[in-house]
Amino acid sequence: MSFIKLPMVLMPKRSRLGRPSALVSATFLAPAIALLGLFLLYPLISSFRLSTLDWNGLGATERFIGAQNWIHLAHDPAFFKAVRNNLILAVFSVLIQMPIALTLAVMLDKAGRGSRTLKILYFLPLLMSSVAIGVVFKNVYDPNFGPLNAALNALGFGNLAQDWLGDGRFALGATLAVICWQNIPFYMILFMAGLSSLSPELREAARLDGASPWRIFWHIELPHLQGTLRTGVLLAVIGSLRYFDLIFVMTGGGPDGASELMATYMYRTVFSSFQLGYGSTIASAMFLIVLVVASVTLTLTRRFETQI
Amino acid sequence: MNGIVSIFNYRRTLAIACAALSTGLGALGPVSIAAAQTKTLTEWDSQTVGAGPKIINDAAARFEKANPGFKVESSHVLNDAYKTKLKIAFGANQPPCVFSSWGGGPLREYVKSNQVVDLTPYLQQNPSFQSRFLDTAWPAATFDNKVWAIPAENTSVAVVFYNKEIFDKYKLTPPKTWDELLHVISVLKANNIAPFALANKNKWTGSMYYMYLVDRIGGSDVVRRAVMRAPGGSFADPAFVEAGTRLQELVKAGAFAQGFNGLDYDIGASRRLLYSGRAAMELIGSWEASTVKAENPAFYSKLDYFPFPTVPGGKGNPNDVIGTVGDNFYSISKACPDPQAAFKLIESMTDDQSMRERVADTRIPPVKNLEVSDPMLKRFLKTVSDAPAVQLWYDQELPPALGELHKNTTQALFGLTMTPQEAAQQMEAEAKKDLN
Repeated sequence: MSFIKLPMVLMPKRSRLGRPSALVSATFLAPAIALLGLFLLYPLISSFRLSTLDWNGLGATERFIGAQNWIHLAHDPAFFKAVRNNLILAVFSVLIQMPIALTLAVMLDKAGRGSRTLKILYFLPLLMSSVAIGVVFKNVYDPNFGPLNAALNALGFGNLAQDWLGDGRFALGATLAVICWQNIPFYMILFMAGLSSLSPELREAARLDGASPWRIFWHIELPHLQGTLRTGVLLAVIGSLRYFDLIFVMTGGGPDGASELMATYMYRTVFSSFQLGYGSTIASAMFLIVLVVASVTLTLTRRFETQI
Repeated sequence: MNGIVSIFNYRRTLAIACAALSTGLGALGPVSIAAAQTKTLTEWDSQTVGAGPKIINDAAARFEKANPGFKVESSHVLNDAYKTKLKIAFGANQPPCVFSSWGGGPLREYVKSNQVVDLTPYLQQNPSFQSRFLDTAWPAATFDNKVWAIPAENTSVAVVFYNKEIFDKYKLTPPKTWDELLHVISVLKANNIAPFALANKNKWTGSMYYMYLVDRIGGSDVVRRAVMRAPGGSFADPAFVEAGTRLQELVKAGAFAQGFNGLDYDIGASRRLLYSGRAAMELIGSWEASTVKAENPAFYSKLDYFPFPTVPGGKGNPNDVIGTVGDNFYSISKACPDPQAAFKLIESMTDDQSMRERVADTRIPPVKNLEVSDPMLKRFLKTVSDAPAVQLWYDQELPPALGELHKNTTQALFGLTMTPQEAAQQMEAEAKKDLN
């Protein structure tokens, strides 16, 4: 945000005592570092270590097999199908969720106080448990009893009524729609928060100068939101690459891997197939993929960066 | 949302970890003091419905009374959560003393990692205890000629349930052969009724068709030989390929209700089809009878079953069944400080009184000379005792990775996205890796 100067009050003041001593910094950082080390770094390193083992996770039966799991992974069509599905999920999450969330945010922002009920209504999906949503939509999509196909048939679009979750061509798309439905409110709130920090004077000045609402959106609101949008896109991409719950509940990755994601594949490998070593390889690869994609996205969107 | 949710989860994880730590530390005191006076035996099982938990708790109380100085701590955990919990406990080397399993492949994993007590010597000391159980119950718990678990809870076999009313209306009789089955399917189809209700999101449901086809085509020996890696035994055996072909023949004939590969058995999607009369049959485990009885008593009166039909030219005995005799077996972990006492606990959990209580809970425990009054239970009992062979569900029989592949390839066969040859070859390739 180049054209709004932050008021000086918000700028951190330099301490009179000058730089804090190393000991003080270390003390304040220690709890965070200890927790990160314990719950982030240690599991990360140990899953890379596990990825070199052939192990069912039970007792002292592990066997060191070097890079064999990784070689297997590089030739595993099921894994690549999962990666492809994750990428589809990421791209469509961004393309579908961002515009809808932005539209809702701008409209609710304009409506002001009168829109409270709507705000709550739109926010509801985010508050529900994924498992409950998954069960509800399994019933909605049910080709024999579900309201979706019943509605399509009643409206004369019977040829559009499909076997939504059981047909490999539609399973991923059908779950993607529910994932979007659940997540849009989050980005809506994010963008609304961003919009509320836009000072009303700017909009008013523009209006006095005769700018149309459309023009205000394109030239004032959208540029103001660019940093928030970037955050939103990033969260959506990372979230999609690690996604698990609704897919697991609604299709279990099926049919025949049509909606399999890296995370559901990993879960099945570890907990159903008892292959902890190979499962850890999938987890580690997933970490690397998320890391690379997130870094690339961060770099590509750097020009939208804003200081907050 | 993803960001926020992950932060919340992270926090929750932390909170749980902290809570666990503090309760763990707090619990250390009293437990170690108590241990000086009484010995604690932990017992885990997956009995959560009906009288299941009570039967175990009462048996544990009888054991405590007969063996002063021992205390039993039982946990009853639901199915899938139980499997995960047990696996993590074994992985962390803190397994319970006595634990239940389904026998077969997963139990073998624990045995292979040297974490399960060999029960053969205990049984040899007490032959009258062993002879009470049905002979067909032991194979699922026997590896390397040693017995690792005691069958206890139930007998479940897959049969074809059907709606008598629909069959009467269209003058159909339960099919005994493949051609009769195809005739039933075509009549039902012509009357706009889905022949079979199937909820195959879960995969093990569709697997039942495949297992029966393999048995009817190749006989009960073909799987055993493939698993044992006996000479000529192979998952690429023509019997497996033909089973896949027949299965796809059913799919192409429209034998299954719309959307079967996406329907979820756990939310009752297949039973809903039966109840509404939109589907006429379902191949499923015999437990479905008691589920229906509890869920929809009015429909229960229309329910009947027939065994899976024969296949032309097939070598299988039409009385063979797929299922499990035992359905929850109890084992002792090597980490148990007092396996002798743990075995006494298992004896108490499988004594005559607990078996009677299981029958009263509409179950068929795997023991001889049962007195059963429920007519459907009686027939199941006969079906099982007449069966020359009981093939354990493949996903329990096979090593976990192979069992998982079997479920995946079968779902793909149902979806017509894989040929029977491909499925058989994938199975054989994985079997070569896993079975040695």
